[in-house]
Amino acid sequence: MNPLFNDNPADVQLDQAIANRLSKLRSMPVDTSSLDRALRRQVPAPPARGGMSWLLSIRPLRAVAASVAILLVISAILISTISAPAMASPAQMAQFHRDLVAGVTPAMRVDSIDAANRALAAQSPQSPQVPDVPAQHVMACCMKSVKNKKVACVLLKDNATPVTLTVANASDMKTPEAGSITRGGVSYNVQSVGSLNMVMTERHDKWICLIGELSADRLIDIADQLQF
Amino acid sequence: MDPQEATQRFYDSIWPHRAAVLRTARILTGNVHEADDLAQMTMLNAFKGIERFTPGTDAAKWLMTILRNCRIDRIRSAGKRAHAVSLDQLAFEPAGASEEAAIGAEPWDAGDEPPDAILNRFTDQEVIDALQNLPEEIRWTLLLIDVEQLDQREAAEILDVPVGTIKSRAHRGRAMLRQTLLPMAKEKRLI
Repeated sequence: MNPLFNDNPADVQLDQAIANRLSKLRSMPVDTSSLDRALRRQVPAPPARGGMSWLLSIRPLRAVAASVAILLVISAILISTISAPAMASPAQMAQFHRDLVAGVTPAMRVDSIDAANRALAAQSPQSPQVPDVPAQHVMACCMKSVKNKKVACVLLKDNATPVTLTVANASDMKTPEAGSITRGGVSYNVQSVGSLNMVMTERHDKWICLIGELSADRLIDIADQLQF
Repeated sequence: MDPQEATQRFYDSIWPHRAAVLRTARILTGNVHEADDLAQMTMLNAFKGIERFTPGTDAAKWLMTILRNCRIDRIRSAGKRAHAVSLDQLAFEPAGASEEAAIGAEPWDAGDEPPDAILNRFTDQEVIDALQNLPEEIRWTLLLIDVEQLDQREAAEILDVPVGTIKSRAHRGRAMLRQTLLPMAKEKRLI
C-alpha cells in the first residue's frame, strides 16, 4: 500500500481542510485594470454589433457612412474613457439604503432572491445577478445607477434590522480605500456613515456591498452566507 | 476566419475569463509582476489562437492549457528552475522514500481545534506564499484541483499526465502544504 494514501481519519480530515482552504483562493479578488489596459493596446476593440452594411452598399452614401464610422470611433474612445469603474462612495451607498428603507426610492416588493432577480432582469437586462442569501428575509428590490453603472439593490431584514445588499459587476465598481477585515480568506472593506456600517468586497466577479445599522462583523456574517 | 469574427469570438468567449487567468497566475507565481506578464501573454496567445477554440466548449480549461504552456516557455526562456525541480524531472513521479518521510515528519498537533478554523486564519497571501514552497507540478495540481475545482480527468489532460498521477500529486501536495503551514501557524501563534 502506498503510505501516502492511508485512510487515517485525522489525515483525511486534514487533507479536506487544506483542500477547503485552497478552494477559498478562488474568490480572491484581483484587479484586472492594468491587464485590461495592456490587452486593449494589443487586441483590436470588439467589432460593433449590428450592421450598417446597407449604407455602405449605397455608393452615394459612402461618404456619410465614413463620417458615421469616424464618429463611432470617437464615440467608442469616449465611451471607453467613461466606462472606467465608478467609485462606490460610502455616502451614496448610505443614501441608497436610507431611501430604500424610507420608501423614497420606488422599489418592487419581492419575497425571495429569485423573485428579485426576475424583477430586476425585467427592468433592465443588464442587471447584475444577485447572489442568494439563504437565511435572510427578502423584502424589496430596485435598480440604481452609480455613474451609469447598474447597481442592483435588495432590501433584506436581519431579525428586525433592515439591510441593503447592493450588487454590481466587479469591473464596474471601485471600492474606496479604508480599513479591511479578512475572514475566510475574503477581504472586506469596512466603512461607516453615521450609524450605518457597510462592508464591501468582490466575489465571483461581483462587487458586493452590505449596509445597515449592524456591526461590521454581523454584515460580514451575512456576506459570508452569499451563494453565487 | 474573418478577423472581425475572430475578435468577436475572443471578446465573447475568452475576455470574461481574464480575472481567473490573472488570479491563477498570481497563485502560481506568487509574484504580482510575473503574474501580470504571464496573464497578458496567456490572453494574447489565446487571441492569436482563437481559431482553434470551439465556441461552446470549456474556455476556462482551454485558457489553463495556454497558461501552462506560457509558464513553461517563460521558465525555460529565463533558464529558471522552480525550486530546483525541473519540469522534465516532474514529468514522472518523484515519489522517493525521503520525500514520504519528510511529509510524515511532524504530525499536525493543534489540540481540539478543527484544522479548518486554523487554516482560515491565514490570509490568502500567506497561503499563496506557502504554495511557493511546493514543486511547480504539485503546485499546478493543487491549483487545478483544489482552487479551480477542475475534476481529476480535466487536470490530467491539462498537465498531460495520467489521472493516477494527479491523485498522487494532490495528496502529496496537501500533505506538503500542511507541513509548510504548521510551523507558520505556530510562529504566528494561530495555534
